[in-house]
Amino acid sequence: MDNVATHEDWKVRFSSLAPGLLLFARQWLRSSADAEDVVQEAFVRFWRRNHNIENRALLYATVRSIALDFLRRNNRRARRESDVVSEIEHSVQPKFTTEDEAQRALAAAVDHLPGEQREVVVMKIWNELTFAEIGSVLGISQNTAASRYRYALAALRKNFAPQ
Amino acid sequence: MNDFSELEDQLRKLRPAPPSPELFSRVERALVDVADENKSTDNIVRPDHFRINWVSLGLGLAAAAVLLIVARIEINRQAKQIPAVASLTPASRDKAGAGAVNDRLVPAGFTQVVYNTRDEGLHFAGGSVQPMRRVRYQTHETLQWRNAATGASLRVSYPSEQVELIPVPGQ
Repeated sequence: MDNVATHEDWKVRFSSLAPGLLLFARQWLRSSADAEDVVQEAFVRFWRRNHNIENRALLYATVRSIALDFLRRNNRRARRESDVVSEIEHSVQPKFTTEDEAQRALAAAVDHLPGEQREVVVMKIWNELTFAEIGSVLGISQNTAASRYRYALAALRKNFAPQ
Repeated sequence: MNDFSELEDQLRKLRPAPPSPELFSRVERALVDVADENKSTDNIVRPDHFRINWVSLGLGLAAAAVLLIVARIEINRQAKQIPAVASLTPASRDKAGAGAVNDRLVPAGFTQVVYNTRDEGLHFAGGSVQPMRRVRYQTHETLQWRNAATGASLRVSYPSEQVELIPVPGQ
């Protein structure tokens, strides 16, 4: 296999994709360090296998798959170590760089969305995937993805009142 | 017109937290280092293998065994209760003998009802470069035996689960 690291292209691609991928991974992972591990593994695997980087649905499916596997492993470990039940519940909010109170409130409102709606919003807004791509990532129809998105925005509008 | 356009604009103004600078150097090292490639295979997500629900299967088999024993005892008891009639003709004795040969439960039917199908999205099989779609089926299977001679029947039902990996073309 070619040494793909010699291709500077990966840096350009990764720079544009990394923030959105991290945000996507952080839906399931408590710490940003864990999310970075997952994104690194997904990106490296994807790049080494010479998948078309334009195939975003496959890239996000890879991140999701690795993140969920990471979560399962941690859950098993947590059970073995008899950790508290709350440790098993990994419903971690996306992290944003906020500038004012209104943005913090909006970020909090996003955090409180149901998981299945939040992941659609994250993929649509901050990763600019189409509903067809989102449907492919989640194994649902694009109509279902669009419905979840609309429900999410309706909930956000209801819960978020800008100052 | 999208009713949510204003809200979408506000959402887009939220910026995801940037990755740490170390992440880039880590990715670069991982891409360069072949040894890391082998090491990373430990973390490859592999689809769940076909998982048998052993408890359900064990209970189902135990129930089947008990029913078979009970049915066998019942059949034997019925056979003993038939009085031996001295006046049976040779023809009728032959007929009874043939009945004894056929006096057993034979498989008569198998049904499998899929009551839940769940698409679990794309996954990678171990070492595979091609993504696979994983679909999980939850089924209820029923086996049936029938004794043609006595009309007795035995039916065993148990839940089951199957996982199907479907290659995704065009990657």
